[in-house]
Amino acid sequence: MDFDALINGLDRHTLDGITRGSIYALVALGYTMVYGVMKLINFAHSEVFMVGTWATLGTYTVIGATAGQGLGMIIGATLLALLAAMLASAGTALAVERIAYRPLRKKGAPPLIFLITGIGCSMVLVETFGQVLRVFFGPPFGRVLVNVPAVLPTKTVFTIPGLDLAITNTRLIIIFGAIAMMVALDFFVNKSRLGRGVRAVAQDPDTASLMGVNQDRVIMLVFVLGGAMAGVAALLFTIQYDSTKFDIGFIIGVKAFTAAVLGGIGNLRGALIGGLVLGVVEVYASTIWDSSWADVTAFVVLVLVLMFRPTGLLGESLGKARA
Amino acid sequence: MIRSSRTWQAVALSAVAGLALTACGTTDTGGGDASGDDCSFKIGVMGALSGANASIVLPSVDGAELALKQWDNEDCDVTIEKFDTEGDPAKATPVATQIAGDDSFIGVIGGAFSGETRATKAIYGDAGVTMISQSATATDLTQDDPSPVFHRIVPYDDYQGAAIAQYLTDELGASKVFVVDNSEAYGEPLADRVEETLGDAMVQRDKTQVGQTDFAPTISKMESAKPDAVFYGGYIAEAAPLLKQMRDAGIKAPFIGGDGLYGSDFGNAVGDAGEGAIVMCPCAPIEEDSTFAADYQDEFGSAPGAYAAEGFDAMSVFLAALDDGARTREDVESFVDGYTGDGLSKEISFDENGDVPKDKVSYWAYKNEGGTLVPDVEVSPAS
Repeated sequence: MDFDALINGLDRHTLDGITRGSIYALVALGYTMVYGVMKLINFAHSEVFMVGTWATLGTYTVIGATAGQGLGMIIGATLLALLAAMLASAGTALAVERIAYRPLRKKGAPPLIFLITGIGCSMVLVETFGQVLRVFFGPPFGRVLVNVPAVLPTKTVFTIPGLDLAITNTRLIIIFGAIAMMVALDFFVNKSRLGRGVRAVAQDPDTASLMGVNQDRVIMLVFVLGGAMAGVAALLFTIQYDSTKFDIGFIIGVKAFTAAVLGGIGNLRGALIGGLVLGVVEVYASTIWDSSWADVTAFVVLVLVLMFRPTGLLGESLGKARA
Repeated sequence: MIRSSRTWQAVALSAVAGLALTACGTTDTGGGDASGDDCSFKIGVMGALSGANASIVLPSVDGAELALKQWDNEDCDVTIEKFDTEGDPAKATPVATQIAGDDSFIGVIGGAFSGETRATKAIYGDAGVTMISQSATATDLTQDDPSPVFHRIVPYDDYQGAAIAQYLTDELGASKVFVVDNSEAYGEPLADRVEETLGDAMVQRDKTQVGQTDFAPTISKMESAKPDAVFYGGYIAEAAPLLKQMRDAGIKAPFIGGDGLYGSDFGNAVGDAGEGAIVMCPCAPIEEDSTFAADYQDEFGSAPGAYAAEGFDAMSVFLAALDDGARTREDVESFVDGYTGDGLSKEISFDENGDVPKDKVSYWAYKNEGGTLVPDVEVSPAS
């Protein structure tokens, strides 16, 4: 145990944790929104994220973006990749809803069935990237880790005086990108007309449809929004970690789901808080002991939080969340 | 009772199917089978022929196939039969049962990985099927629980840790090595062994997890420890992001890994950040202008990859047994135990546990140059 290492570099470790947690939080939004509206854990959401990382790689490959190009190319490639990742992830989420969930919903299937079809979708997507696409296109598809070019080079933007803490451009983009997306989403759900529909269905689907809210459209919207957020997370992930893999979504998905529960599943702001807390706890634990203790500590914290606040830190559902 | 009789039916069915297949095989090849000294045999190959780790197994299988193809023996008709275990012990067990139960198999090349080897060597042992592994390196396979039928072409992991430590101190002159492992059955004992051999030359030890992508806590530990070299015990999927994040953070210390990083996938996964990274491997380099490399290229359309020479050697030992007149599993076993001969990878012989004799143990440090691993220097751990 090395508490000195934690205390001496507390600023640095907190920043590391927030960076890690920002990505958890963005992915957690997808779990929490779908849960808020449908009371369903969408287990295919981890693969929605995975598809986004591949869309980023695909965009870079198609437009020929590599490391060490000019500023115009960096900005253009990154924005295009952002768009592609959001579209691909949102499209995947939408397809999962149409194929795996909607037919069951129409038939009034019991909730457990949705879990199984979600897990099934997740496996199909994983194997598609791990196996099927390799047959048709060859590498980079397959079961190996793939290098994503570091189009956006990591550079120190400024150093916080007195703390000797170097702030890099990628960290800034990740943290502010994640927070900006969440504020926008929160605003959309709480202030816009469509958002009101989302909250209405979350509160009481039957009454909402009596009031003229199209339930299917709201559910589609929720999947698209959650998917788009996973797409943003996917781009930020590739910027920070420069790699992807057919099963990259699994661990991120488990962590994001944990973050959603920690913050209060169904609650958008809870996802943000849950993600950041989880990221910071993991990094602190990794610093005091080592990374093999990160998960143990994170889940002990989760259990402790749930013992005292069984509905998570912020604990409200999407429907009840008010400004 | 019902259940067991069903199992027996299944066994009987598969036995019949197996017999039918064998029959097809022999009619196809035809020829001198009818002679008194029947020499028609099969040699099994067991390993991950598909899945995430296939790239470090397939070249050895091709190597074995090449050895069989180049074998010149009029009297014998030997076929190679490949079994895909995906490296999974649970999938390897039924394969071993099948091979052990079929008398036409006189030997098996593999298991390619330690886990599947551990799970199957008792089955092969009971049936007296000789195993020659081209790449299973776990120490316990021969040191804790030796099996009379198990042999391997590669030295075991304890030597590798010593070789890595020796490279770090002698070749790199490192005195502050940062040791990281992946907290699982391959990386942790390897890193333990490196730590043990390094002694005071190790500055700090850290652990990571399989599937981890964010190594920020490890990086900040490195930043305060200021190591002059970093060793990582683990596999490519975690080594690549770790190395990238090190270089991003401006840590320029040399990076070295074990044979878990060996394979063409390493260069692809790590990109530019991997330039100059060292991978230690018991696999002997194959000279580009050798006849083996040329034959392999002709046959399979690519340069020989990981453990291709070891696969070739394993097959050659079995074929030598048949040349010597071995016709039963017992003959083969006693021939292999006493075998000495020149192989492609090294001079092949086995000690009483089936291991490479101590004085034949050597490792190669490969350097990643532009995405390919180039042999750099040979290391023979003093022990």
